[in-house]
Amino acid sequence: MSTLHAKKAEAFLQNQDKVTRHDQTFWSVRAKRDIQANELPEWEQLRESASQIKKHTITHLADYLEEFERNATKNGAIVHWANDAKEYNEIVLEIMRKHNVKKVVKGKSMLTEECHLNENLIKNGIDVVETDLGERILQLMNLPPSHIIMPAIHITREQVKENFGEKGLLEKNGPQGAKSMGYDDKSELEAKADPTYLTRCARYHLRDNFMTAECGMTGANFGVASTGEIVVCTNEGNADMSTSVPKLHIASIGLEKVIPNYDALGVFQRLLARHGTGQATTVYTSHFKKPRPTGEFHIILVDNGRSSILANEEHWQTLKCMRCGGCMNTCPVYRRSMGYSYTYFIPGPIGINLGMLKDKDANYHNVSACSLCCSCDNVCPVKVDLSTQIYKWRQELDDMGHADPMKKMMSNGMKLMFDNPGLFTTALKFAPLANALPSFITGVKLNAWCKHHTMPEFKKSFHSQWKNIKKD
Amino acid sequence: MKIGLFVPCYVDALYPEVGVATYKLLKSLGLDVEYPEKQTCCGQPMGNAGFQQKSEKLVEDYDKLFAPYDYVVAPSASCASYIKFFHPGIVKHECEAAKKTMDLVEFLHDVIKPTSLKAKFPHTVSLHNSCHGVRELGLSSPSERVMPRFNKIKDLLQLVEGIKVVEPERVDECCGFGGMFSIEEPDVSARMGRDKLARHCATGAEFITGPDSSCLMHMQGLAKKDGTPIKFIHVAQILASGL
Amino acid sequence: MSSKNEILGRLRKNVRETYDMPDLGFEKLTFADPVAEYIKQTTTTAGAKLIEVKEGDDINELIRQAYPNAKVISSNVPGVKADRNPDTVECAQDLDGTDVGVIQGSIACAENACVWVPMDMKQKAICFISEFLVLIVSRKNVVNNMHEAYKELEKLGDNSSKYGFGTWMSGPSKTADIEQSLVYGAQAACGLTVLLTD
Repeated sequence: MSTLHAKKAEAFLQNQDKVTRHDQTFWSVRAKRDIQANELPEWEQLRESASQIKKHTITHLADYLEEFERNATKNGAIVHWANDAKEYNEIVLEIMRKHNVKKVVKGKSMLTEECHLNENLIKNGIDVVETDLGERILQLMNLPPSHIIMPAIHITREQVKENFGEKGLLEKNGPQGAKSMGYDDKSELEAKADPTYLTRCARYHLRDNFMTAECGMTGANFGVASTGEIVVCTNEGNADMSTSVPKLHIASIGLEKVIPNYDALGVFQRLLARHGTGQATTVYTSHFKKPRPTGEFHIILVDNGRSSILANEEHWQTLKCMRCGGCMNTCPVYRRSMGYSYTYFIPGPIGINLGMLKDKDANYHNVSACSLCCSCDNVCPVKVDLSTQIYKWRQELDDMGHADPMKKMMSNGMKLMFDNPGLFTTALKFAPLANALPSFITGVKLNAWCKHHTMPEFKKSFHSQWKNIKKD
Repeated sequence: MKIGLFVPCYVDALYPEVGVATYKLLKSLGLDVEYPEKQTCCGQPMGNAGFQQKSEKLVEDYDKLFAPYDYVVAPSASCASYIKFFHPGIVKHECEAAKKTMDLVEFLHDVIKPTSLKAKFPHTVSLHNSCHGVRELGLSSPSERVMPRFNKIKDLLQLVEGIKVVEPERVDECCGFGGMFSIEEPDVSARMGRDKLARHCATGAEFITGPDSSCLMHMQGLAKKDGTPIKFIHVAQILASGL
Repeated sequence: MSSKNEILGRLRKNVRETYDMPDLGFEKLTFADPVAEYIKQTTTTAGAKLIEVKEGDDINELIRQAYPNAKVISSNVPGVKADRNPDTVECAQDLDGTDVGVIQGSIACAENACVWVPMDMKQKAICFISEFLVLIVSRKNVVNNMHEAYKELEKLGDNSSKYGFGTWMSGPSKTADIEQSLVYGAQAACGLTVLLTD
C-alpha cells in the first residue's frame, strides 16, 4: 500500500548520508527563520495581517486586478491576460516573434515552470537561458528543481564542476572567474570544486548571455495595484541583470500575487525572505514601473486555474501562498524525502495541496507525504491551514477512486469493531493480536510496520483488568 | 466533579498500565472517576486513513457515553485533540462530550492545578513533545511561534521528587509516527523516528517520556529493533509513581 | 469574450464571502538609534562595507581609497569623477567592464540595511553590471523598518525614480545555490561600499 511518493522516498533514503545532509540543510534554514522571527516582537501580528490582507485581496481580486491594469497601463506597460498555460505561452511567443527574439534571459519563475514555458520556447527555436545560479545548474544538467527557493541544493559541488566542465564553462569563463578572486591560476580552485570559483564561472558565462539576449523575462513576487508596479525579489540580482540590458522585458505574474498597496507590501516584504531563507531581506527588492527608455515592458496576468480555486470552499486559501518555501523547510517529510519524491513540481505541504488542485489523478500520490505534525501551519507567513487541507484531501480520495484498497478494508474493519463495544471488548479479551488493534498494526503485521519496528507486547487489556483496578 | 476516563483503544490493548496509572493518579487527587465500559476508539485511525465518515456512529456513541461527565480525561494528547477538534466536523453538529474532553496533562495543569504530588522518580527523562499536544492542544509553546515559552508537561513533571527533565535538540520535531503514515510511508517514518530517537538519546536520559503512547510505541519499536538501550514511560506513569 | 473578461467574471462569480482589509496600526520594531542599527545591519548580515563621510572628506578620494585598483569608474552622480556615464553611454552593454559604479541612494532602512536606489540614470545596468558598487546614502534618510520605508516611498510618488524603476538594495549580490555556501558576486556586484554622508 505504499504510494508513489513512499516508493521514491524509499529509494532516496537508501543513501543515509545524503538524507542527513538534505535534512540538515533545510533545518538550518528553518533555524535561521526562527532567529529572524524572534527578532521581531510584532512577528505574529505580521503573520495574521498577511493572512487577512491576502483574504481581503483574493476576495476582491477582480477589482484589484482592474486597478493594477489601469495603473500599469498608465505607467506605459502593456498588460495581457491569459486564461491558461496555453494562452500564456502563445502570448509570450507572439511578443518574442514581434521583436525577433533569438535568446531570452530569465529570472526564476515558478509560474513559467507551471506553464512549461521553456519547453515551448525551445520548441519554437528560442534559446532560453535561466539566470538564477541554481536554475542554470539544473538547466545545464537537464533536471527539474527540487525546491522552489533553493532549486539545486541537492546537487553537490563536484557535480556542478563536472557539469560546468562538460559544458565548457570552466575553460571559457574559468580564467576570469579565478582572476576575480585574485588567483592567476584556476587549477587549485578547480581541484577543490570551490563554490565561489564555480559561482564566478557561472557569473561570467551568464554575463555573456545578458549582453547578447534580446529579451529579459522575470516572474513577480508581488503586483501592487495602487501603483501598477511589479516587485521582484532576488539575492543574485539576476532578475535585474536580465532586465538591464535587453530592452524587452516580459513579466509573468499569477493573479493571486497582486496586493493592494505599499502598506500591504511592507508587511509581505518583511515576511518573504525571513521565511524563505532566514534573511531579513533579499539583497534586491526591485520595483518595475515603466519600460526602460526606448524599451517595452509587458506584464502577463495568468489565471491557469486560480480563479476556479477561489470557488473551492475547502481549499481556496491556498491562493494566499506567496511561494516562500517555508513550509518545505520545516516539513520533516520533505526534508527526508526531497523534492523529486513528489509528483508535482512544487513539493512539500503547499505542493501537495497545489498539486491536487491542479490535477488530482496525477498528484494524489503525494497526499500520503504528511505525518500531520502541523509544523507548516505554524510556520506559514500567510497562515494557510496546510495540514488540515491535506487531511481533507485524504477524506476525498475514496470518492475520486484513489483510495488505497487496503486502507479502505482496514477502515471497514475498524468501523465494525469500534461501532460495537461488545465485539471490541470480546476481541480485546480473546484475540487481541488478531482483531482488536487499530489496523495500523494488525492489518499489516507482516509487512510495513515490521520492516523497521519490533511488534509491541500484548498485555491483558485495560478493559479486562477494569473490575480488579476498580476494587483496589 | 465527575470525571469520565477515556482509555484509547491502543492504550487499552498495549499499554493498559498507562490507563491504570491515570486512574490511580486521578483518584489520588480526590476525584470522582468513572470508566464507562462501552468505549472503544476516538476514530482517528480511520480519519487519518481518509475514512473519517466511517467513524460517524463511533463519534455519536462517544458523545452519548461521555456527555454526562463534567470532564472527560484521556492519557493521550493526540486522541484528546482529535476528539476536540474533529468530532464536530464528522457528525456536523456540536459535541458536548468533545468540548469537555481533555488530555490528562492539560486537565491536571489547567483544571486541578496541583502544587505537589506524592510521586518520586529519581531518573533523567527526555521529554517527547508530541505534535498534536504541542500544536493543537497547546501543551507547550510551538517552536515555530513567537510567544512566551512554556511547557505544561514539564511543569507537572517538575513536581515529581528526584526527577531531572531534559529536552532533545529540535524540541518538538515530529517523530514520524503519524498513525497510518507509519504504514504508508514506512521508510520516511522510520527515518524520522530514528533521528528523533538519536536526539533523545543524545540528552543522556534513561527514559523517554511523553503524553502520547503512540509516539512512544513507534520509537520503542525502532529502538528495540536497533538495540538502542533507552527506556520508555508515559507521563501518567511518572506522575503516578509510588501510588 | 476576451480572456480578461472571462477571468474577471470567474473571479467575481467564485467569491462566496468577502473579507475586510485589516488595520495595520500595530506597533512595529523601532530602534533607539536607527543610524547605528543601519550601520550594524549593513556591515554584518548584509555583507557590505561602510564609510562614514566626515566634513571636508573628498568623495573621489574615498572611492579611490576603497578601490585602489579600479580602472573604470562609471557614475552620473554630480561631483563624482567617472570614466563612463550611464546617461550618455550608447547602450547598456557599454557599461560592461565597469570596475566601480557609483550611485546615489535615498531612503535607508535600519532593520534590514535596504537602501532605495532609484533609476535616476538612463541605463540602470550600472547598478548591477559593475564589479563593485559605491552607494551614497545620507544618514538623514534612515528610517526604522520597511513600513516606514514604504511610507516614505509613497510620499515620493512619481519622484521615487526618474525612469520608473527602483530597487531596495541591501548589499552585494549573493548566492548559496552551491551546497549552501555563501558566495558574494553571483550575477551583480561582488562587493558594495556605502558612503554614509550627513
